[in-house]
Amino acid sequence: MSNVLENIVKVWTNYSHLFMQGLGITILLSIITVIMGSIFGFLLMLLRRSRFNIFRFRPLNFIAAAYIEIIRGTPMLLQLYFFYFLLPEMLPFLELSKLTCCVVAMCVNSAAYVSEVFRSGIEAVDKGQTEAARSLGLDSRQTMIHVVLPQAIKNVLPALCNEFIMMIKDTSLASTFFVGELMSVYRTVSGILFLTIEPLIVVGIIYFIVTFVLSKFVRLLEMKLTVA
Amino acid sequence: MEEKKIIKDGDEIIRVEGLEKSFGKLHVLKGIDQVIKKGEVVSVIGSSGGGKSTFLRCLNLLEKPDKGKIYFEGVDITDSKVDINLHRQKMGMVFQHFNVFPNLTVEGNITLAPTLLKKKTKEEAKALAAELLNRVGLYEKKDAYPQQLSGGQKQRLAIVRALAMEPDVMLFDEPTSALDPEMVGEVLTVIKELVKTGLTTVIVTHEMGFAREISDRVLFMDGGIIVEEGSPEQVFGDPQNERTKEFLSKVLY
Repeated sequence: MSNVLENIVKVWTNYSHLFMQGLGITILLSIITVIMGSIFGFLLMLLRRSRFNIFRFRPLNFIAAAYIEIIRGTPMLLQLYFFYFLLPEMLPFLELSKLTCCVVAMCVNSAAYVSEVFRSGIEAVDKGQTEAARSLGLDSRQTMIHVVLPQAIKNVLPALCNEFIMMIKDTSLASTFFVGELMSVYRTVSGILFLTIEPLIVVGIIYFIVTFVLSKFVRLLEMKLTVA
Repeated sequence: MEEKKIIKDGDEIIRVEGLEKSFGKLHVLKGIDQVIKKGEVVSVIGSSGGGKSTFLRCLNLLEKPDKGKIYFEGVDITDSKVDINLHRQKMGMVFQHFNVFPNLTVEGNITLAPTLLKKKTKEEAKALAAELLNRVGLYEKKDAYPQQLSGGQKQRLAIVRALAMEPDVMLFDEPTSALDPEMVGEVLTVIKELVKTGLTTVIVTHEMGFAREISDRVLFMDGGIIVEEGSPEQVFGDPQNERTKEFLSKVLY
């Protein structure tokens, strides 16, 4: 047992810079994913809510709903494989890096979840707000921009932060393709030292500290928003 | 061109013809004909589920009528080619649950629509907001957010917000039903002051004494139709219809 502890200390003191570097990439990857996923997810939500129809069939609505269901109904690891193999094949001239393919896959995944976050955030705004705005003569776009969205953001912000926390953990799946994030670093270190458990514990502690601190922060944000 | 013919009386501001509305299988309005004249104060009374609120909400098309026509200032607003947003600017509405915008200050609530719809510059809108807030005794609250206001204050704000668009008609949908009893008075006072200015008003209310006092005309609705209408003296003092009598005997003790 003391051996394990000794090894953990050794792993950390010798390779802390690698772990920190990996953590940096993990966080960067998560931030990019959540930002891009939010933009894409917002557009997806607009499609999902559009009333455009041909004989009552809503094509935009259908496409968005199908996208969301398919993404949410398949494992993220499968999606990573899919884009990892598909993108370089489809767009060879771009010479996409492994990391880019993973980022695209994760954005595609995140957008589906985030769009539902946006949708429920908007639907949670009281219907009376829309009615009041419309009764003053605002059109539906003005109502959305000036009345509904500012209130929806309050509902959405904590959920978006939670999505970010989820992403920090989910990016570990990208280590399958060795893109340099924290879990990839684990594989490197474990390969060098022929140790499995000790570096795993180190990496686990790092993940836990980061997500724990962030989720406390989200709690605080939630409380602030409900008071304001 | 057709629109010209519709105006049969220069004074009429709202004309409702054969209005029907269903929610699913529930037939809420079963054919309403009504003319409201400029400057008139009309109260709509009746038991819950009689279609009062739905009738009012059809007037500015918050509910879309299934059948019938609604003319506002001579224009058939049920025509899908009409831009309803333009007409809504001239019809103020006050809701039971206030529906003030929590993300904006008191002043922001009032100036949003006039500035956004280019009716006024920011300065003009603020000046008007100040004047209106003074009138309802809320000027000191102009920088507060709605959550810092009491129910009565919120409703006064909602009234002022509608007035800031300088509407030709005001629609009140049970404006005091969601208020604590001690706040009903302050809101009714504001409405009373308002109708004195000659603004055309349609008010759905359960405050019988109030309806009797301010109205030029009272409509009693039951089962999706207007069962009886007339001056407050007629409807409250000498109701003709059995259903009106029964309703009044229950609410007037």
